Amino acid sequence: MSAESVSARDAILAAVRAARPPSVARPESLRPVHQEESGLSRLDAFTAAATAAGATVTLAPRKDVPRFVASATEGAITLLSFAAGVTSTMSPHGDAHSLSALDVLVSESSLGVAENGAVWIATSDTVLRGALFLAARVVIVVREEDLVDDLHQAYERIDVRSHSFGVFVSGPSKTADIEQSLVIGAHGPKALTLVVVRADEPVNP
Amino acid sequence: MTRRAVELPVLAPHDPVDHAAAAAAFNADVARTDWHDEALWFVRVKRDRAAAAVPEWEALRARASAIKEHALTHLDEYLVQFESNALANGMRVHWARDADEHNRIVHGILDRAGSQRLVKSKSMLTEECGLNPYLEARGIEVIDTDLGERIVQLRREGPSHIVLPAIHLKKEEVGDTFHEHLGTPAGLSDPTALAGAAREHLRERFLAADATLTGMNFAVAETGGFVVCTNEGNADLGMVLAPIHIASVGIEKIIPRVEDLAVFLRLLARSGTGQAVTVYSSHVHGPRSGQELHIVLVDNGRTKQLAREEFWTSLKCIRCGACMNTCPVYRRSGGHSYGFTVPGPIGSVLTPGLDLEKYAALPFASTLCGSCTAVCPVKIDLDGQLFRWRQRVVQAGHVSAAKSVAMKSSVRLFNHPRLFRLAGALARRGLRILPRPLARLAARPWARARELPAPPAQSFRAWYRKNRPGGDR
Repeated sequence: MSAESVSARDAILAAVRAARPPSVARPESLRPVHQEESGLSRLDAFTAAATAAGATVTLAPRKDVPRFVASATEGAITLLSFAAGVTSTMSPHGDAHSLSALDVLVSESSLGVAENGAVWIATSDTVLRGALFLAARVVIVVREEDLVDDLHQAYERIDVRSHSFGVFVSGPSKTADIEQSLVIGAHGPKALTLVVVRADEPVNP
Repeated sequence: MTRRAVELPVLAPHDPVDHAAAAAAFNADVARTDWHDEALWFVRVKRDRAAAAVPEWEALRARASAIKEHALTHLDEYLVQFESNALANGMRVHWARDADEHNRIVHGILDRAGSQRLVKSKSMLTEECGLNPYLEARGIEVIDTDLGERIVQLRREGPSHIVLPAIHLKKEEVGDTFHEHLGTPAGLSDPTALAGAAREHLRERFLAADATLTGMNFAVAETGGFVVCTNEGNADLGMVLAPIHIASVGIEKIIPRVEDLAVFLRLLARSGTGQAVTVYSSHVHGPRSGQELHIVLVDNGRTKQLAREEFWTSLKCIRCGACMNTCPVYRRSGGHSYGFTVPGPIGSVLTPGLDLEKYAALPFASTLCGSCTAVCPVKIDLDGQLFRWRQRVVQAGHVSAAKSVAMKSSVRLFNHPRLFRLAGALARRGLRILPRPLARLAARPWARARELPAPPAQSFRAWYRKNRPGGDR
């Protein structure tokens, strides 16, 4: 840190202290009480919100996930998987630059948010982080029991400090910067598929 | 050849912004003005739908406002906490008192690393600081990667909206610009095809970049991390590819805790575009392995605004753009008419604090209808602040002689009943006997876009005396 920036720091902090308006207290509770229920189940709300954001949502029992991913990504030449039971067709080396032609990323999410259809992925792995944005198509697997109602519940469950990077992903990348016309696939993935894993059918008692 | 949307008067750096003249130029094309108005109203309607779908919306707004007021009234403590946690996360922290210091710090980081190619995601702060021309003059290629920002950058314009930077342009104009700069076929104006061409062009720049600069939507004191929200994924592509990441942030963007993010992320996209949340809400709590991550905390007038008892709450702004989309003046005058990076109601309460004389016209670029205040997710009393800035502008004498005389005459008129009655009688008579064009001329500028009313036969006072005996006391 240069001497100049130390003095800028002190000058700014001194200016803030001199300017501080009278103290306002923090709100005691952040979570407003729900005034009414939407009537939708958590899974239905999640599916509706994710679909509205442009994602494709599919339900599958755990054992069917590999088969579903294989059929959904047929034709993909380069597939990188961080999901259990799904095999990569490539092994990336170096940094994210090598992923620019990646066809498919398959990953798992530890949490999905019903109110906005977003799924949370946290990682310090440069390859996974890069692939989330460089792959043409992303498939994310999330368990139904990991869905929460809203972002308040989500932040109670996740630890943003556990990794250098964490992201809520809601739909494929998009833009409406030209005459408000929605275009899917701005810079990042052109498609997002969410696979919600339901508990496997119980074996007959 | 590139068609220009609207020819606007070019301002020297310290010329006062003449919003009315710029708006008149924008309004010269009636069909285009209607189109602009409707495009923004459409976004406002989407915002309404998204807000109505959250039953606890008003409670969220109240909490967001209280968190921001709490943070701003303890800002020194939270800045120090943020700095120490960010340092512990392996980030480097710089402080900049003003735009020039910010630009020098950014250039210094790039210069030391030998960086030549910078990709930027949306940062209104760097627009405010004039970073692009500063770096370009020093031989660094700067590429804005948000599609709307890239469009206006290629056209050598500024953004006309903080969330929708190219909202003032038609797709044909974007097509012409891309034809000229990106080599798309002449006449191509399909948004999907144009966005696809931009994707390819920008993907190359992302891969070749040796540094990236992003803004921050929220900086979290408790963890020393920050959140960047985009729909396009452009901030993330820069962050995952470039070896150096610089994140510039105004000091007012600090929030105390992680849990506060729930409140703000629930409000931000719903207010801005009507989405439940942006496609990507990226949380950064340290550099990637091998990456340098620099944070530049910028004052540039914010502590002065914090010291203003009447205006400090304008620093609560989370830059959603809702006040622009709803503002009847913004919608029909265009973002460039405000002569500042942040236009619309929030721009008009921030700019007078930066340079009262230069931006004296902006608090008057409002009907004081209060629609901005009604939609603001952090409950800034925008119309109240606009009204109070008008008083400061007049006290400082930054008002035209004509307006000053007119206002003083009105005060005299309203304070003297006999004079008021006389003026009313003259006006009624004038409206009856003067030829209409002459009457309209006399009533300019009010009558420029309106028809004059038919003169009533008598004043309300006369009518009352006649119909309510004993009513006149």
